[in-house]
Parts: sequence; C-alpha cells; structure tokens
Amino acid sequence: MAHYKDGYEDILEERRHKSDLKYCVKQRKDVPQYKYRKRRSPEEVKEHVIHSDRVKYTVEKLADRLHVTQEAVRREAQSILDEMAHSLNLKAVRGFAYFLIKIFKSLFRRIYVNEEGVRQLHRLIHEYPVLLMPTHRSYMDFLLISYIFYEYDLPLPVIAAAMADFSNMKFFGWLLRQCGAFYIRRSFGTDELYWAIFTEYVQTQLRNGDQPMEFFVEGTRSRTSKSYTPRIGMLAAALESYFKAELPDVMIVPISISYDRILEESLYAFELLGIPKPKESASGVFKARSILSEDFGCVHFFIADAISIRQFSTGHIDRVCHALEPRYINNLTKEEAELTTQLAFQIVREQQRHLVISPWAIMAAILMQSWETGISVRQLVKESDWLKRQAANMGAYVDWPGNTSPDSVVRHYLGLHTNILAVSDDMVMPRLVQPSAHVKVQNDHVMLNAATNIILSSYRNQLMHVFVRVAMVSLSINGCMQDCLSMDNLYSQYCFLEKIMARDFVFQPGHTRADFEQALLMLQHSGGLCASDGGVLVKKSITKHTTFYSQMFEPFLLAYWVLCQHLLSMSGSVHGRPLPRRLKDLARDAQVLGKRLVEQEAIKHYEVLSLDILGNGLATLASMGAMYKDKRNEENWLSPNHVMVSQIAQQLAAFIEVPAVQVTQEACKSIRVVLTAKI
Amino acid sequence: METRICCCQPETSLRCENCASKDANKMVIEQQPSSIPKRRQELLRWNGWGYKDSKFFINKNSHMEFTGERYRLSGKEMPGFRDWMIATTGLSLDHKAPAQQEITAAEIPSPIVNESFMEELKRTSISFSDDPQDRVFRAHGHTLHEIFVLREGCFQRIPDLVTWPGCHDDVVKLVELASKHNVVIIPIGGGTSVTGSLMCPENEKRMIISLDTTQMARILWIDEKNLTARIEAGIIGQDLERCLGEKGYCTGHEPDSMEFSSLGGWVATRASGMKKNIYGNIEDLVVHIKTVTPRGVIEKSCQVPRISAGPDIHHFILGSEGTLGVVTEVTMKIRPVPPVKKYGSIVFPDFESGVKCLHEIAKQRCAPASIRLMDNEQFQFGHALKPEGGTIFTQFLEGIKKLYITKIKGFDLTKIAVATLLFEGSKEDVLAQEKKVYEIASKFGGLPGGEENGLRGYMLTFVIAYIRDIGFDYYIVAESFETSAPWDRVLDLCRNTKDRIRREVKERGVQFPPYVTCRVTQTYDAGAAVYFYFGFNYRGQHNPVALYEDIEHKAREEILANGGSVSHHHGIGKVRKQYLQKTVSEPGVGMMRAVKHYLDPQNVFGNGNLMIPDSKL
Ligand SMILES: Cc1cc2nc3c(=O)[nH]c(=O)nc-3n(C[C@H](O)[C@H](O)[C@H](O)COP(=O)(O)OP(=O)(O)OC[C@H]3O[C@@H](n4cnc5c(N)ncnc54)[C@H](O)[C@@H]3O)c2cc1C
Repeated sequence: MAHYKDGYEDILEERRHKSDLKYCVKQRKDVPQYKYRKRRSPEEVKEHVIHSDRVKYTVEKLADRLHVTQEAVRREAQSILDEMAHSLNLKAVRGFAYFLIKIFKSLFRRIYVNEEGVRQLHRLIHEYPVLLMPTHRSYMDFLLISYIFYEYDLPLPVIAAAMADFSNMKFFGWLLRQCGAFYIRRSFGTDELYWAIFTEYVQTQLRNGDQPMEFFVEGTRSRTSKSYTPRIGMLAAALESYFKAELPDVMIVPISISYDRILEESLYAFELLGIPKPKESASGVFKARSILSEDFGCVHFFIADAISIRQFSTGHIDRVCHALEPRYINNLTKEEAELTTQLAFQIVREQQRHLVISPWAIMAAILMQSWETGISVRQLVKESDWLKRQAANMGAYVDWPGNTSPDSVVRHYLGLHTNILAVSDDMVMPRLVQPSAHVKVQNDHVMLNAATNIILSSYRNQLMHVFVRVAMVSLSINGCMQDCLSMDNLYSQYCFLEKIMARDFVFQPGHTRADFEQALLMLQHSGGLCASDGGVLVKKSITKHTTFYSQMFEPFLLAYWVLCQHLLSMSGSVHGRPLPRRLKDLARDAQVLGKRLVEQEAIKHYEVLSLDILGNGLATLASMGAMYKDKRNEENWLSPNHVMVSQIAQQLAAFIEVPAVQVTQEACKSIRVVLTAKI
Repeated sequence: METRICCCQPETSLRCENCASKDANKMVIEQQPSSIPKRRQELLRWNGWGYKDSKFFINKNSHMEFTGERYRLSGKEMPGFRDWMIATTGLSLDHKAPAQQEITAAEIPSPIVNESFMEELKRTSISFSDDPQDRVFRAHGHTLHEIFVLREGCFQRIPDLVTWPGCHDDVVKLVELASKHNVVIIPIGGGTSVTGSLMCPENEKRMIISLDTTQMARILWIDEKNLTARIEAGIIGQDLERCLGEKGYCTGHEPDSMEFSSLGGWVATRASGMKKNIYGNIEDLVVHIKTVTPRGVIEKSCQVPRISAGPDIHHFILGSEGTLGVVTEVTMKIRPVPPVKKYGSIVFPDFESGVKCLHEIAKQRCAPASIRLMDNEQFQFGHALKPEGGTIFTQFLEGIKKLYITKIKGFDLTKIAVATLLFEGSKEDVLAQEKKVYEIASKFGGLPGGEENGLRGYMLTFVIAYIRDIGFDYYIVAESFETSAPWDRVLDLCRNTKDRIRREVKERGVQFPPYVTCRVTQTYDAGAAVYFYFGFNYRGQHNPVALYEDIEHKAREEILANGGSVSHHHGIGKVRKQYLQKTVSEPGVGMMRAVKHYLDPQNVFGNGNLMIPDSKL
C-alpha cells in the first residue's frame, strides 16, 4: 500500500517519520478565511445569539403566551445556549492533536485524503460560507475531520453533535466542545425557544463564516454502515439564511469517510439487537478490549465537489417572497422545504457515490450468503473477484489493490477480522463474537450468532447502495411465475419494493422512474437480464446476477414479513383494532417472533432480529398507511390495519420464500408459532 | 428639411395671446433661453453624455485629462486615473474601440409621414422639424444599450418628426391633432432617461412625433406668500434653480442629472433629488400638475397643501413615464435660498459601520440635506480622479484636521468607507446639525474627514457620467442602477449584489474581473436607496451589451431576492417592464391599464413603457 494513490495522499506517512510534538505546535500558514468574516470569539457568538432579533422575538412571544416574565424565559434561553455552544480554541486542538496522532498511528495503517478536495476547500472557504456534510459511521468521524483540517491548515470546523451520543461521556464531551463540537438535542420539534436559539446559533456562524460548519445529514451515527435517510431540520435551518438572502451562497461539501473496519462494530451489533450496551465512555471507545492493539486497516476520506445552494435552487424557488416579513420570523415556503429535502437526498447520494468500497465489503457480501455452510478460501476468492467486477460496473470505486494476487488480498482481510471469522482447513467459518463482560447474553446462542452475523452484515451493507436498485428489479424477476414479465408490472413491483424499503435504503423522492430505467440498463448491459419488446424474458433472466442480488436483499424482505406476521397476530380489542403500542415495543415483540422462527429453523437469516430493520419496517408501514397512528406525549403509538398489513405480507411473500407458519397470540406474552408443512 | 418658429419663443420673450399668464397678482419672471437649444447636437454630445466641450481623453503625457471649462475638473490632468483604470478593469491603452464618426442621413430610417396630420399641423403655429439628426437625437435616452447603438449603428425606429410646442395650448392642439389622425406622441424633456423610455417601439407603424418640451420653459409666476411657483414643464433643472436663485429662492430639487433633465421629466419618472431630506422628492414638491391627455386636461381646481378627494390624481401622473399625456405646467413649492451651505465628510473604518451610522442618523431624523455613503471601491475611484498627484493616503489626509489624522492612520485604506455630507440652513442650524451628526458618527467609529473630501464627492457626481464615454473607447462598458431597501436588508443587499455580479461575470468567461461599487444615496425612516455602478472590460466578447444586460438582469433578481425594489427613482421604462407585475401584483397592473385605457384608448402615447402591453405585431 502506497503513500499516494489515485489522487489520495496518506497523511500518516509523514507523521510516522517526524516529531509529533513539533507537529502539534506547528505554525498554521495561509489558513483561508471567509472574506467577509469578522473575527469573533465563541463567547461573542453566544452574546450575539442571546441578543439577536430572533431570540428576542421568541422570548417575548413565549413570555406572553405562557404568562411568565421575559426574564425567566431569557434565563431558560441562556441555559439552552450554554448547553449547546462550543468553545473552540486552537490550544485545546493542538493538545488533542498530540494524542490523536498517536491513536491514529496505532489504529490505522493509512489515512487517505483526496488532495483535490483539500485544494477545493482552500479556495471555497475564502469565497463562501461552507457546510461540511460527512457520512457518519463512527465517533472517529469527529476526530478525523478536525484532524485533517488541522493537518492541511484549514480552519477548524465547528461540529453539530447529537447530545444523546455524548451524554454519558463527560470528559470526552467537554474535550470535543473545546475542539468545536456543539450539542443538539435529538428532538425538539415543538420547542420554539430551543428552535429559535439553535437556528440563530447555526445561522449567525454561517453568516459570519466564523468557521466551516460540519453536520451529519444522517442525524446520527449509522449503526449499520448503510446511509440513513437524511434529516432535513438542520439543513433547513442553515439554508433559511440563503433563502432569506442573508448570504450570497452556501457551499455544501459532501464528505465520504470509508473505514476498512469500524471501531464500534460489536457495540453496534449488540445495540441493534437490543442487548444493553456497556455505558459508552471515552474509555469505552478507546480502551474496551484494548482496541489500540488491534488493526483497523485504512481510512479513505473523500471531499466531494461542493454543491452551491444558489445553483441548486435556481429556477426552483423565488426568494422574493420573504420580502414582506422580518427575516427573523421563522417561515419557509413549501418549495423551499421540498428543495431542502431534495438537496438532502442528493447529498446522501453524493456521499454514497464517493464511498470507497473495501475488498472486505465484497467478501462480506459473499460470506453472508454462505453463513451456515461456510466457504472455501478458493471459492471466496473466485466469488469476490466476480462481485468486485459487478460493483465496478455499477460505478462503485472498489479499493482492490491491483498489483497483489486476489488470494493474498482475501487472506489479508480475513486476518483483519479474526474476531468474527475462523479459517481452518482453508474453510472460512463464522466465529461467534465475544461480548464484553457485562453483556448478559453469553449463553444465548441465537443472539450471539445474530450479533456475529450483524457485524458481518454491516460490512456487506457498505455495498448495498450500489446494488439496491438492480436488486429490486432482480427480486421481481426471481419471484415471477410467468415466462414474460411486462415492463409495467416490473415497474409497479419496483415501486412497491422502493416504498417498503424506503427507510432502509435511500431513494431520492421523484427519481423512481429514472432510477428504475437506469437499473434495467445496468442489468441488461452486464448480461444479467434479457428483455424483449413485451417485457423481461424471465427464464433467461434468472442468472447468477439476478439471483445473487436478490439474495443480498432477502433478509430485509423477510424481516418485514416477520413483522407483518407479528402485527397480524395481534388481536383486536378497541373498536376491533389492536391496542396501540409504541414503535419500539412493537419492534421488540416482532423480534421475539423472529427469534422463535430462527430457533425452529424456519428461517435462516439472523438479520431479521435487527431492531433497526424491524423499526424501519414499522415506520414504513405507518407511512404507507398500514398503521393507525395515535400521538401521545409527543410519541407515535401505532396499531396495525390488518387488511393492509396482510396485503403487504402477501406481496412480500411473492418475492421471497417464506415459511408456512400460522402465528397466533394467546396471552399478551407468549407467542406460539405453529409450523405447518411447506407448500 | 422644414423648420418653423412659433411666435411664442422664450428667446424673444414674446408670447402669443393664449399662452400669456393672466394672473396679475403674482411676481412675473423675466425669461432666459433654455439651456437646451432646439438643435441640441450643436451644444451636446450626440453619442454620449453631456456637453460636447467636456470630455475625458488621454493627453500627450499618456495621462487622463478632462477638457472644457465648465467643471472643477475641467482642464485638469489626473495622474492617478489611468493607472487606476488599468488596475481595476484591465484596460489597455493599446486597445481602442473608437465610435463611428457620424451617422449620415443615409443610415437614418426615413420618416413615416401622416399627410393629413402634417397638413393640419402646418396650419398651426407650432414649430417642428424633420431633420434626421434632430430626430435621432430624440430617439433615445442614456442607457448603455442606447449609447452603444449610437456608437456602432443606428436605431431601427426613430421619431418621424420633432415638434416644439411653446405653451400649454400648443400641447392641447398637438394632442388633438394626434388623436384625430392617429399619430403617436412621445414627450421628451431633457432626454436623460435611463430606462429606455424614449425609444420608439420598433414595430410602430403609425407616424411618431417627438414632443420636445424644452421650449416651454418659463417660470410663469412666483407666489411669495404661499412659497410656490408656477412653472412650465419643459424647464431644465439648472435653469430653474438659477432663475429662482436670482429672486432668492430655490426648489431644492437636485437630481444628479439636473444640468439636463426637465421638470416634466421629473414628474413623469418620480425623480428624486439629492437634497430630498430637506426639500423632499418630486412627489413632495409638487402642489399642482396640469396634464394634457387625449381625454382632456387633468388638473385639480385648487392649489392646497393636502386634500382628501379620493385617490390623489397627481399620483396617476407621477411616474406615468409619458404613457398618459403631457405634463405642461406645475406648481412647485419653493424655499428661500439658505444662507449657509457647507460640505463635510465622515471616514468610517468600513462600509458596515457606515451603514449602521446612517441608519442611526435616519432614526434620529437628523440627516443633513444630503448624506451619501461610498463603499471602498468608490472611495478609491474618487481619489484616482484627483488632479494633484501623490499617494491616495497623502491626498486623503490633506483635508483632515490634525486631531483625527493619527486615528485615521489606524484605518485600513482598503476597507474604509466615506460618507459625504451637505448641510444647509442658517449658520446656527448648520453648526448644530454638524455637531449632532459627527457625534453619532463617532459612536460608529466614524471620524470627520473634512470639507474638501465632501465637496469632491459631490462634484464627482457631475463628471462621473462623462467617464463612461472614455471607457467605451477602451472596451469598457458600464452602467448604473439603483434600488431602495428596508434598513435591515441594506448591507446584505449590497454585499450579495456585488458578489452576484462578480460571479456572473466570471461564469460568462469575461477575462477581467468587473468593477462593482455601490453607495447609499438616500436615507428614509424605513430604509435607504442604494446606487450601484458596474463596469467591465469586454475585450474578447462578441456582444458586450447583451452580456451586460444579462448580468444586470441577474443583479436585479438578486436585489429583489434581497428585499430591494425594482427602482427607487429611475423607473420602469422598457428595461424593467418584466418586473412590474411582480412588483405591484396583477390587479395592480390592471389598474394602471384601466386608467391608460380610459385616458388614451387609441394609445396615442404609445411609447411602450410601463403598463403598455408589448404588441407582438
Ligand atoms: C447621469 C444621470 C444622472 C441621473 N441622476 C438622477 C437623479 O439623481 N435622480 C433621478 O431621479 N433621476 C436621475 N437620472 C434619471 C433621469 O435624469 C430622470 O429620470 C429625469 O427625471 C428624466 O428627466 P428628463 O427631463 O430628462 O426626461 P426624459 O428623459 O426626456 O423623459 C423621461 C420620460 O418621461 C417622459 N416625459 C418627459 N417629459 C414629460 C412631460 N412633460 N410630460 C409627460 N411625460 C414626459 C418621457 O416620455 C419619458 O418617458 C439620472 C440620469 C442620468 C443620465
């Protein structure tokens, strides 16, 4: 592996030969600044926020409405702000950098950064306020970005972090604050005061271009290594400044961070299964199982071309409409909200486009499909080579070293992941993860199997966005009973799949048709699909391609199906409807059912136990209208619409093989699964 | 060629019976000839701005020099100016783009003649001409587009005849004849329009006559009790102020174009004068307006300070841009000439503190007669125009009191902004005003910058218009445009619009960065007026005018998005028609059209401005 490759530079190389101390006190030269910036301290930013028109207006409004003094509301405002604000200072960053280099050097072999991206940032930061929008897979993201900006003499970003992620990590949280993190509560939908302070805090820093601002469009760390569907709120708050012409433009820079191996892999796996995790703390991240002595491979950090909000919005919105109200009054038009949504999706797609697919992700996808049987190394090499080529055909950037034999590449990665895999007699078999001491599942074989499976799946997930669209076409073909599948039918099935998987995968609203057509072309050109005038010739199209892609996505559909079965088993009590329950409770109950089915070997995909997939399924069913919604204490309580759920279950069963089961519920607690003979 | 002289010529102080003012109680004014003669081309530049004798040129020392003897800068060499032009626009003295020498009669479209109209016209005593050069001179105003056409070619459609009515009744006669024979009338005053409002619609098949008002230029009377004066609408700004001045009065209306623009033009465009803080804009200054329309003469029956009698009919006429009729006589407020007139200036560390200061001054309602804030680019420009040599810094410090010099030295010369001030009133008033203004300024880091720097700022506005012509000679196209905006938007608007222009220029592959500058020219309670100046070196571009217009269009979009208006005082004309409906709503345009339709169903005043629909025929 080289210091330079394909436009990337390894920033650790130099650090391995030079003094870390000198590096931390280095003089930062020619750090670009936004040309209209007025220098302010973090304290002055806070001052501004508290005295801003927006906050003043909201304070007065709330005091009036709630019949309390303005002073009281203002105190509340101040405490919200104190909780939120960062206190970025270069001294802390320098000190922190010293430890970071040491940590990075021991964790990673290389940290690759695309140099053109860095050059672009140097230019842009001077011209316009910049929003950095990285993918979010790990705590490491925060540290990496700031570190890279320090390395390249770029102004250090301020970073919006989810408060919940750090609530248990006092020291680390404090430290990050010094390095520019500011904290946001996860949901504050209706808290007007919070919203006003947050908006002003974001906007004033953007307007003045104090620092580049970084936030994660996915809202939180993705536990699954798939992109989450984007959150709009923060982006909308930031862009309001442009919509109201407080800024000439905003440059949005998607950043894709790809890890060979993620630090939190097993933490995530247990979390996804709902098994209580050890308290997250700084030591939890860094010291647990002496992570520092492990090998986490390479990191690829890709800074994509900036998206100018001006260019993106030209012709779609008319900013003139804001001329009739003071700008501190919150209001975005429907067009602006829609545009923001489109942009958020576009950002995710840009991020995905530039993710670097590690050979390991390719291998994981194959290993997932031979979970029970195991696979020989030779076969694995062969299959990986095939899948690698398919991924490349789909436009993915696969980081497969060109000058090394496939065999040694595969062996190298197997060596990186010995915590979940064992190789004996040239056969690769899963090895159950060792949960940390306080996770109480040591003896639950199914759960340990599931955890291991889910860790592996998280690497396969890195690949899913590449194949999801062709897979949706493939699934329809594989499930088709006729000789010829008409394009109209194919498309309507595609639409159904897109709808049902909308939370697990990211589909840009309004792009369904274009995506579908693109996927068809891809399959046709790669030889995976055979079409005639009337439609797709099914027999000829059931190929290695379509079969493989379908199987990749089978676990998701199966999980939704299990979910439906659970929902159908809930018996009616109020107006013939089952009692509403909270989403997470429903997901847990469905998981219990899934576990039974796995235990009884009716299904073989451990992934159906993932609360993430089950929760996503529920949310999707709700948005498809298959669940009755009932808002209590700001939370949605759900209850199934049996007619629709059973329709959806039937539709799902047309794509995949499902066990013939009949689920009944006797008491609330015990679920009995009756297996009937397979038809 | 046919030219006839009416009996009531201002030159001869003769009047025909009809025109004579019958009011014996009022002070009657001795008349002087209009500053604008009938054959304008003999005094004024036919394809550029201003007097023929005044222009910038590169002298034998390769320095910029201004000719003539009319202005403070006249006959002076400006050693810093050439280098400033080169540095800011990439201009090169080796690359010239000279204008065509003359337009010969052969290139000028021949007139459409309505014989029956001509027959009747000849029976009146109204003077007229079909001389091609007279007609070309009245075919345009002063937008970049129009001047560029004159330098490179000719207009497709120009007036077919020029007429010089001598008084209100002549106008009534002309409008009658035009209605009768279906002839188009386009009124023209000073011809300083910057909205394309004087241009003839290219597809107009009817005969078009240009109604030149400049020979109706008398002050009919002055009423000292009520401090009003009755004035014919063709009077030119400088004549008006000079004549009134001789009697110890002034109107105080001083648009930057006052050397050439006319009272009727001001009314027709809703003009704004630099000293509006004391005297008001044109709509505040008029007490009575008389307008001849095809439907008849519109006027009020009384001359009162205020009236409640339904929507104010004056406001249909103000800003009507020659679409409804001809303004012939106006009663205006006048004021005694103030004993003291004093310039001043304030230096701010940056534009932002300057804007904040102007806002505060507006809030406290203590703005002097005029207050204008130049951004840094304009400050640099002003200094490049100084006749004396030396660095900007030494020049600049000359006018400033010792006390402030050290402080000002701490300012960043590439950031500072300068406000120019004009105080008027009694000695005590002026002193008190100055004190207050400078006090407020100091709260925003502003320091008094001396009288000289202020005076220079105002002088500049009169010569600035001449600069465009020399720019043209070296591949520079430039134009100004203006807007008004609420206070909270002003700063963002200035920054964003400048940024937008620079960006659009760059994206269109123009080799050199543009020169963009702005100044806040007027302050109000609720906002301010902002004036932009934008030019660029078009060497290497095929169609600089289209390019310029395209970019200005983007700049206007930006202004609107920033909560700015379509125009503070230039108006709509033809160049901003596309924004009218969005600005005043669809029923709003409908309302204007309904009025137009009632007053002028035949579209005699068919200049195609404002609410008149674009005919696709
Ligand atoms: C260098 C320069 C500086 C300027 N500075 C200012 C300024 O400070 N403030 C400002 O407000 N404007 C300014 N302007 C714009 C212009 O001077 C004004 O719009 C002015 O009011 C036009 O008067 P005018 O007599 O030249 O009218 P013209 O250009 O002759 O005509 C303008 C329009 O009014 C109509 N019109 C003219 N006279 C009559 C009449 N008697 N009855 C009916 N319609 C008539 C014409 O048909 C035409 O549509 C400036 C222009 C230039 C070139």
